[in-house]
Amino acid sequence: MLRIRKIGGALLGAIILLTAACGNGAFAGETHQVVIERFEFVPATITIRAGDAIEFVNRDIAPHTATEVEGEWDTTELAKGQASRLEFAAAGTSDYFCAFHPHMKGKVIVTPQ
Amino acid sequence: MFNTLKIAAAAAVVAGSFIAPAVAEDKMNDLEIAHTAYTAGNLDIRYAHLALALSEDASVREFASTMIRDHSAVNDEAVALITKLKVTPQDNGLSQALVKGAAEKRAEFVKLSGKAFDCAYAKNELGYHQIVNQTVEGKFIPEATVAPLKDLLKSALVTFKAHEKHAENMVKGLNCGA
Repeated sequence: MLRIRKIGGALLGAIILLTAACGNGAFAGETHQVVIERFEFVPATITIRAGDAIEFVNRDIAPHTATEVEGEWDTTELAKGQASRLEFAAAGTSDYFCAFHPHMKGKVIVTPQ
Repeated sequence: MFNTLKIAAAAAVVAGSFIAPAVAEDKMNDLEIAHTAYTAGNLDIRYAHLALALSEDASVREFASTMIRDHSAVNDEAVALITKLKVTPQDNGLSQALVKGAAEKRAEFVKLSGKAFDCAYAKNELGYHQIVNQTVEGKFIPEATVAPLKDLLKSALVTFKAHEKHAENMVKGLNCGA
């Protein structure tokens, strides 16, 4: 199971801390970006290292989510121009989709540090 | 070559009413295009509310919720654009035909329940999006002259095409038959 720390750009003031990736809460990894555009996650598959973060940015008019298939993590609804940042603390692979448009699919591969 | 007569005929079938070919053949101005695009979105939102009221099928309810969410977002963008441009969309024959046809369809739908309703709604959504997409792609986008409107229509078309695919899957999943 991946351990996720979610800092939602779309959820300012409502930070959800599922687990502490770093002892003092400071972020030491790299932040990657997945753009949601034309009903696709770009890139559809992204490989990052444990401790890195992904910022999901919606550029479509339609609202989208990036939701892990088993519900392990979720950006929740992202309106046009909104973003949500998730930190991936542990190695593993997870498939995700848009809860509103289930044909939209993506994959996150987290390699060990 | 894009055949506007075909659009008019097909739209008439989907809308359940006759749309004079002249309506679709006439070149539309930006304000008429904006009005019709907004109207088409609003009508689909109304269909969706009906589906949420009448259907107990999870796939139909999920689709209807998506239609409300997405078409509201597109129409919000349209309102923001016309507000920015300080213009008023212009009612026209195509908008009126769509409204009339949708009212007739809703009157049919409220008499249905269960799978009969689900299939009627799903098939109508597929047909409606097919026609709307053909019209947006083949008529509205080429005829729009204001760049922000053209851009909005192009972005909206991406959304509506995803809806068409979603509707196609819904129809298949419901096993409605031909």
